[in-house]
Amino acid sequence: MTNVPVSRLRNFCIIAHIDHGKSTLADRLLQDTGTVSGREMQEQFLDNMDLERERGITIKLQAARMNYKAEDGEDYVLNLIDTPGHVDFSYEVSRSLQACEGALLVVDASQGVEAQTLANVYLAIENDLEIIPVLNKIDLPGADPERIKLEIESIIGLDVSKAITCSAKTGLGVPEILQAVVDRVPQPKDLIKEPTKALIFDSYYDSYRGVIVYYRVISGRINLKDKILLMASKKSYELDEIGVMSPDQCQVDELHAGEVGYLAASIKAVADARVGDTITLLNSPADKPLPGYTEAKPMVFCGLFPTDADQYPDLREALDKLQLSDAALKYEPETSSAMGFGFRCGFLGLLHMEIVQERLEREYDLDLIVTAPSVIYKVNMLDSESLMIDNPATLPDPQKRDSIEEPYVKMEIYTPNEYNGTLMGLCQDRRGEFIDMKYITTDRVTLIYELPLAEVVTDFFDQMKSRTKGYASMEYHLIGYRPNDLVRLDVLINSERADPLTTIVHRDKSYNVGRGLVEKLKELIPRQQFKIPLQASIGSRIIASESISAMRKDVLAKCYGGDISRKKKLLQKQAKGKKRMKAMGKVEVPQEAFMAVLKLNQ
Amino acid sequence: MSVVRNISPPRSAYLHIPFCYRRCFYCDFAIVPLGDKANHSNGPGSTSIKSYLELLHREIALTPSGPPLSTIYIGGGTPSLLSPCQIKSLLEHLKERFGIQSGAEVTMEMDPASFGFEELEAFLSLGINRVSLGVQSFNDEVLEKIGRTHRENHISQTCKWLHQAIENRKLKTWNLDLIQNLPEQNISCWEKELFKAINTHVPHLSIYDLSIEPGTVFSWKESRGELELPNEDLAAKIMDLTNSILCKAGFARYEISNYSKPGHASRHNRVYWSGAGWWGFGQGATSSPWGKRLARPRTRNGYQCWIETQETSGPDSSLSQSKAVPINLDDLVLTGLRRREGVDLEALGIHFGWSQTQCKEFLPLLERRWERAFKQGCLKRTGNRLKLSNPKGMRISNQVFLELILWWDSLPESAVSVSNP
Repeated sequence: MTNVPVSRLRNFCIIAHIDHGKSTLADRLLQDTGTVSGREMQEQFLDNMDLERERGITIKLQAARMNYKAEDGEDYVLNLIDTPGHVDFSYEVSRSLQACEGALLVVDASQGVEAQTLANVYLAIENDLEIIPVLNKIDLPGADPERIKLEIESIIGLDVSKAITCSAKTGLGVPEILQAVVDRVPQPKDLIKEPTKALIFDSYYDSYRGVIVYYRVISGRINLKDKILLMASKKSYELDEIGVMSPDQCQVDELHAGEVGYLAASIKAVADARVGDTITLLNSPADKPLPGYTEAKPMVFCGLFPTDADQYPDLREALDKLQLSDAALKYEPETSSAMGFGFRCGFLGLLHMEIVQERLEREYDLDLIVTAPSVIYKVNMLDSESLMIDNPATLPDPQKRDSIEEPYVKMEIYTPNEYNGTLMGLCQDRRGEFIDMKYITTDRVTLIYELPLAEVVTDFFDQMKSRTKGYASMEYHLIGYRPNDLVRLDVLINSERADPLTTIVHRDKSYNVGRGLVEKLKELIPRQQFKIPLQASIGSRIIASESISAMRKDVLAKCYGGDISRKKKLLQKQAKGKKRMKAMGKVEVPQEAFMAVLKLNQ
Repeated sequence: MSVVRNISPPRSAYLHIPFCYRRCFYCDFAIVPLGDKANHSNGPGSTSIKSYLELLHREIALTPSGPPLSTIYIGGGTPSLLSPCQIKSLLEHLKERFGIQSGAEVTMEMDPASFGFEELEAFLSLGINRVSLGVQSFNDEVLEKIGRTHRENHISQTCKWLHQAIENRKLKTWNLDLIQNLPEQNISCWEKELFKAINTHVPHLSIYDLSIEPGTVFSWKESRGELELPNEDLAAKIMDLTNSILCKAGFARYEISNYSKPGHASRHNRVYWSGAGWWGFGQGATSSPWGKRLARPRTRNGYQCWIETQETSGPDSSLSQSKAVPINLDDLVLTGLRRREGVDLEALGIHFGWSQTQCKEFLPLLERRWERAFKQGCLKRTGNRLKLSNPKGMRISNQVFLELILWWDSLPESAVSVSNP
C-alpha cells in the first residue's frame, strides 16, 4: 500500500453536470480497477448518503484509491476525488480541485455543456489542472459526440482531438479513460523533503472516532506517530489512525507528498478541521498554510421551529449533532411571539437548507415549521450605525433607518436560445439588471444578469427550469451590496402580526406580493370555527386583505354499528393533520403556509 | 372477571342482506348487485341468495346463545328482495337461538319498487313492526343521477301502504331515508323534497349528508371534475334548513342524522350509540356483543371461509362473554355526543372503569380542550350533561370530536386501557 513513488501517483477528479453520469462513471472506474467487486457494488458507491442517492446528486465529497496496471506494465495508484455538483458547495469544489493534478470533464454526449460544468471547468483551469474531455452516454440514441466536441472546443477552448467517448453504463471506453489518466494527468510534484503540508478537502463526523479528515499531502510526510497541527483552527492532535480509502478505509503507517488519505484524531467537530485548512506537524510546522482557506459564509437564512413546542430541546440537540458534521451550518436561538422558541439558521444556499431540513425531519424525527428563506440585509441607521439583518421580522422601524442595502449576485444562465425571451422576462421580473448576452454556439446563449440574491433564493431556480423545460442551467456568485427602496411587508393573521411571514420586498412589488400572499394564505389555511381576517401591511398601512370564512360544516353522516370504527379512523387522520399545524394565536396554520411567499407564482 | 360488570349481554341483532338490483353511485357497502337476476320471477329463488342464506343460518347456528332479543334489524343491501318465507325462517332461527322478547322492535329495510302490497302484508304478519324505506330522493331526475332504480310513483304508492298499515295498527312505526347535499342540489329543490317527505306522514326521518366514498361511481366522477357538489356554505344552509323545517313539522333531532316524532325514535340505533352490545350476522356485518367490534369479511368467499373456520375451530373470541372488554371511553363520548341528550362525562368515565380520581385528573383536560367549542356555542352544559348545540354544534361536530381524539391520544397508557377496575 505504501511507498508508491510519486512518479506513479495520479490524482484526479470528475467534473460533470448533475445527471451527466459522474457517479456511474466513478462506480465503473472502481469496478474496472478491481477496487470494488461487482457484487459489493452498490449503485453509485461514492454517494453514500441516502439523500444523495435519492436525488442523484453529490453533496459530500468522497475519495477512492485505485490500483491500476498501465500499458507500460507498471502499477500506478490513481486517486479519484469526487466533487459535489451544486452551486451551494463551490468552495468545497475549489478545495478538492486543488488536491488534484487532473480532471475528467464528463459531458453528456447528447445534452452538451451546462452552466455548472462550465463554472467548475474554469475553476479547474485556474487551478492548472490537466483536463481530459469525456463524452458520456454515447450508447444513447440521441448521442451526437461530434457536435458536443465542437461545443466544448468553442465554449471552453479545450483541445478535443483526444477526447474520449464512453458509456459509463455499458463500460465502453472506460479502459481508455484509465490509461489517459496515467498518460495525461501530471504526476504530483515531488516535495517529500519539504515541511509537511496537507490540504483538507473533506471531513465528516463519525460518532465513534470523531471527525474523519480527508486530505491530500502536498509536501512532506505524515506518520502515525506524528502530532499534527491544523493551521487555521490552530488546534493540535495526536493521530489515532491514518490510512487510505480503497474505497473502504484501510490503515497505513505513513503517507507522503502526492498521496491522498484520511486521518482520525479524536477531533470533536468538523468545524475544527474545516475544508481548506492545512495540516502540518506540531514539532516541525510549515511556515505558512496552503492558500485559499475561507470561512463558511451562510447566504440564506430561515427560521426553524418545532411544530410541537415540546420538541424544542430535541431540535437543539439535533442541530448540535448536525453541526458536528456540517461546518457550514450556523444557527442561533430565535424567539417569536407568534412561533415560540426556535432557531434562526444560516445555509450556503437553498439546497443546503433543504438538505438540513430534510435530515432533521428524517434522521431526528422532528416536525418542523420552516419559514421562507431570507438573505442578510445591511441596514444603515440614521445614527450612522449599520446593522446586518438576517430576519425580516427584526428590521428596525423606517423612522430609524436611513437606507437598506441588499446582496447582489452575478448570475449566468446558460440556455438554448429559444428560451432567451422567457428567461429575460424572468430576470426582469426579479429586478435583474441585464449585463450581457453571449452566443456560445449558434443555438446556445449565456445570459448575464445582476440580480438581488433575495430574488434568487425564492423560486428562481424552479421558474427557470419550468420555463425552459429543464434545459437551462445557472450559476451565480455574490458581488456585493446595493441600496434599494426596500420595505418590510408584514402579514396579520386574525389581526396579529405573523413574524415568520414577514418579508422584505421592493416597494414597487410590495402591493403585488402583499395581495398574492393573502390570497395564497386563504388557500392554504383551512377554515376554522371563526372568521379569520388576513391582511398584508407596510407599517400601519394595510395594502391587501382577505378573509377565511368560518367553518360551516364538518360532520360525519351515518354512524351506526360498523361505521363507528371507520368514521373514527377518518377523524384520527384529521386529528393527525391538526397536530402538525402550528397554533398562531387562535389560528391553526399548516406548514405549507409558512412558505406561501415561495408559492405566489403557482 | 370483574371487567364484565359494565357489559350486559347483548339484546340486539343485526342481519345483513347484501343483495341489491344494482349498486347506487354513492354506495360502498358490502352488497351484491343482482341485476336482472333479482327479478321477482326468479330473483328470490336465485341460487345466489339461497346459498347466502344458508351461510347466514350457519353463522347464527354457530354463535353462542344469549338472552332474548329486544331489537332486530334486517339491513342491507335490499332485504325486501327476499321472500317473506326466507325472512320468516331467519326470524325463526333467531327466536330459536336467543328468543325474541315480546314488544321487540323488528326493523326491516325496504326499497320502493322491490315489493308489492301482498308481500308487505306478509312481511308484517311475520312480526316486522318497523320499516325503513330507502327513498333517498323524491325527484325522478335525481334518482336517475344517483343510480336508483325506483321512481317517485313507486315511492308514493309504497308510502301510502305504510301509512295505511300504521292506521290499521299492522305496523308500529316506519322511517324514510333521504340524502341531502347531492350533486346540483339547491335550497328550493331540497325544500320540496322535505315537504314531500313530511306529507307522507312518516314519523321518523334519517337524513344523511352525501359523503363521497372511495371506489364509488361518485368518487370516480369527482376525480374527473364531473360532480357539482354544493359548496360548504350551501351545504351548511341545506343542513340547517332540514333541521328548522323538520322541527316545525313536529320532529325532534335526536341524533345528528335522525329526526323523529315523539315515541318513534329507533331503539335499535340507540344500542349502537349507548355502548350496549349487539350481535351481527352476515357478510360485511359488524358485531360487538361484548365490547370488541368484529367486522366480517366483505366478500362472499371471504365470508364463507370465515364461517368454515369458525365451525372447525370455534367462534371468534369476541363472541364469547369471557372475553368482554369495556368500550373505549372516546367511542362512548363520540356516539353519545351525537345524540340530543349528550353525555355525562363522569358517569361514562366511571362506566368505562375509571376511579373518581382518574375522572378528576383526566376529564378536566378534555373540557379544557373544548374551551373554544364552549365559547363558540358548539357545546353546551346542562347540569351534568354536555351536549352539542343544534344546529351549529351538530353541523361542525367533527371539530369537537377532533379535540376528543387528541385528548384520548394524549392520555397515559394506564388510563386508556382500563381492564381491571
